[in-house]
Amino acid sequence: MDTAHKQKLAEIIFENIQDSIIMLDRDYRILAVNSPAEKWTGMTASDLIDKNCIDVFHDITGICPHCAAKVTFETGEVNIVTQKGNLKNTTYYAELSVYPVKNETGEVIECVIFIQDITERMLSHEDTLGLYNEVTQTKEYLEGIIENSADAIVTSDINGIIKSWNKAAEKIYGFNEQEVIGRYLPFIPDSLMYIEKEYIERIQKGETIRHIETKRRKKDGTLFEVSLTLSPIKAADGEVIGISGISRDISERKRIEKELISKNLELSRLFFISSAMRGTLELDKLLRMVLTAVTMGNGLGFNRAILFLIDEDKDTLKGAMGVGPVSQMEAGQIWERLEKKTLSEIIHDIEVSPMKKDSFFDRLSHGMEIPLSEETILTKTVKEKKLFNIHDVKKEPLSDLILIQQLGTEAYAVSPLISRDKVIGVIWVDNHFNKRPIAEEAIRFLSAFSNHVATAIESARLFEQVALAEQELENIFESISDMVYFISKDYVLKSINKAVCRRLGKPAEEIIGKKCYEVFHGMNGPWAECPHHKTVEIKKAFVEEVEDHHLGGTFIFSSSPIFDTTGEFIGTVNIVSDITELKNLRERVVMAERMAALGEVAAKVAHEIRNPLVSLGGFAKRLEKKLDGNLKEYADIIVNEVERLEGILNEILGFVKETRVVKEIVNSISLIEEVIYLIKSDIEERGIVLVREVDEPTEMHIDPNRMKEALLNILKNAVQAVGSNGTIFIKTYVKDNSAVFEIKDTGEGIAEEDLPFIFDPFFTTKKTGTGLGLTITHRIIEEHTGSIEVESKPGTGSTFRVFIPLK
Amino acid sequence: MKILVVDDDLHIQRLYKEEFEDEGYEVVIASNGKEAIEMFDSEAPDIVTLDILLPDVDGIRLLRQMKEKRPKVPIIMSTAYDYRDDFAVWASEAYIVKSSDLDELKSTIKKLLGK
Repeated sequence: MDTAHKQKLAEIIFENIQDSIIMLDRDYRILAVNSPAEKWTGMTASDLIDKNCIDVFHDITGICPHCAAKVTFETGEVNIVTQKGNLKNTTYYAELSVYPVKNETGEVIECVIFIQDITERMLSHEDTLGLYNEVTQTKEYLEGIIENSADAIVTSDINGIIKSWNKAAEKIYGFNEQEVIGRYLPFIPDSLMYIEKEYIERIQKGETIRHIETKRRKKDGTLFEVSLTLSPIKAADGEVIGISGISRDISERKRIEKELISKNLELSRLFFISSAMRGTLELDKLLRMVLTAVTMGNGLGFNRAILFLIDEDKDTLKGAMGVGPVSQMEAGQIWERLEKKTLSEIIHDIEVSPMKKDSFFDRLSHGMEIPLSEETILTKTVKEKKLFNIHDVKKEPLSDLILIQQLGTEAYAVSPLISRDKVIGVIWVDNHFNKRPIAEEAIRFLSAFSNHVATAIESARLFEQVALAEQELENIFESISDMVYFISKDYVLKSINKAVCRRLGKPAEEIIGKKCYEVFHGMNGPWAECPHHKTVEIKKAFVEEVEDHHLGGTFIFSSSPIFDTTGEFIGTVNIVSDITELKNLRERVVMAERMAALGEVAAKVAHEIRNPLVSLGGFAKRLEKKLDGNLKEYADIIVNEVERLEGILNEILGFVKETRVVKEIVNSISLIEEVIYLIKSDIEERGIVLVREVDEPTEMHIDPNRMKEALLNILKNAVQAVGSNGTIFIKTYVKDNSAVFEIKDTGEGIAEEDLPFIFDPFFTTKKTGTGLGLTITHRIIEEHTGSIEVESKPGTGSTFRVFIPLK
Repeated sequence: MKILVVDDDLHIQRLYKEEFEDEGYEVVIASNGKEAIEMFDSEAPDIVTLDILLPDVDGIRLLRQMKEKRPKVPIIMSTAYDYRDDFAVWASEAYIVKSSDLDELKSTIKKLLGK
């Protein structure tokens, strides 16, 4: 830029900037001033010229530019101070930045003071902090709930990579946290993978999937039943960024019930930690603006810049964003394009246009992470809170290797970002492409600039954390299928989740603010049985099973007291699970046990009565043959009456006389599919390939349950013979008016000397077999007047064919 | 042809013996599991009718022991109670619920011995 341009740029900035700019000489006489300064003095800019700064500022507003300037005149350094003042009874804050203007001999002859009104920023800080504390407090309650919930609460990113894992998850699935974090859902059985993918797709669209009952696999491989609710985790802007899954081992509901009682009331810290550093668009935009300002030709003019932020949880410096070209050629193109635009135009573009985050350099920056425990230039910048300018990385032993290796940098500068006396990160810059040395001038600007942006980043980040924490809080609150609500100590409902609205069938507006005993129990005053009431009375957590006719069911109420920061009791948090179904189930079990006892009695009775009837009737028949006349008739009556009694007995005991099979019309294909389904998970787990070759469906007259058993035994043997990674072929077809089921495996085969015995009962070559499988199969097929044949060669496999005659 | 009848009911023992002898079979009787196994060895019956509820041992266990000794000897389970859902009984060749009408039992014996 030539001098004329620079002059012009300076003029434009001077007149249009919102900050006040004042130029003072060593006597604090005002040499130049722009119009925003008017608001600090109540005088017009032209009236201010030549006045003494002491006279026009301090007495009126309480801020003191000359005090700030005094330091710079004495030290020759940039000086930045924050001052608090009072104007028309309103408190306000100003940040004053003083830059020295030196003559040829290096003597400070004048200085330029920027006055920035930071009142809003300071006040919003206070608001933010208040909000933040409030959220932190609520967060702690919910953290407790998650951490000690009896339900496994697992969160993952949108691709199913696990991010958090609570104690219950560890207990239920057997994996500990270290084993699963960062892995793809390890508890899903292989056979359910494809269904799970569908679920994930639905959640990606924002859907919540409630109470699916499905199977899960423990670490030791055992499968068990869970009830599962999956919900999307949304960022503040509504985008789905993860999945939270709440699962419950329903095979052990009773145990869980007890756990729920003992510790229902906390939340997992981890759940929040992982996401605390995550950026939303607003912070991203701010960072992008900062970095663009650093790298723009008419900004600070560095070739590349990376912003690192401190991750306090991991104690590292982590790349948050990078701006810069990847190659010399790209650098040329970018500069050419950018030179046509002014900095403010570009900043505006960033503000309104969607973010493009995916530049190669940006991705590279994101991957960088430097532990603060290491001694490098970057970490020293953080620890010593000062700027470093490395002219040659080869001569600086503490140069960051990661920067040299990944970015090829030869010289660079790093400036700390300090907000409220705390380093929140650093800005790293270099001139990789034009190799221009980083001048002291540029460094000084970078330093001043860093101070300006640090507070902005800090408050954006704080806002964002609050927004995120709130969102997550709400997600959990709403995703829990149990009713969760807060009640103040005077029994007023303060906050409720969706489950409450669903249960009561009313919108939240009609519930919040009402007395809890009216809403939940339909009463006019506190209910003595209510756990919340008890908690209010003695200030301790209560958990009880309560039958509530007004709510219509049996519930586990858990109520825990909440105390504010001063220790005063303010209300309770309540979790209510509907266990009506569980209770009904319990009752059914008791009933079934009673029935089983009855059944045993029936078996005894049957035995005690049937035997005498058999001999009574049997001998009467023999008698009948030897008698004649009236006596023959009497014997005949006995025979008939005994038969009648036997008929009644059979009926009472549910006997189907004689036959072992109960036939119905069954479709051949659905039969074989049902058989395959029974053993599917075993086949999949062993990696066996199943090849089906099915003809047109045929209708058969068979006992489906018996026939399934028959075919299943053959298929089980085939699976065991194959072991793993083989193939099983299943064919169905019709031949010679018989339905044929052919099951062929590529397993070990049957030894020739064993072949004649395979259908004999208790004959087995397996270590764990009962030796009954094929016998049963054989008998069942015989009962259906069918037949079975087998071909087998050791080493190549066996083929079983079952023939069922068609009528 | 020799039939081994295993049943603890004295009247049934006698009824079966007389009825089967009328059909021309030789009949031997065992009243409990211990006797049944001994006679299965010593008498070498051609067919067995086996009650499930016995005083000393479960008839299904007896079925297993007999099948392990001589799998080709047909065994008819003859019981007072419904065990059809217990697949172990399928190791037997036939399963008959006891009845005062012995026709079915007799025809099953005939069929199994005829094979």
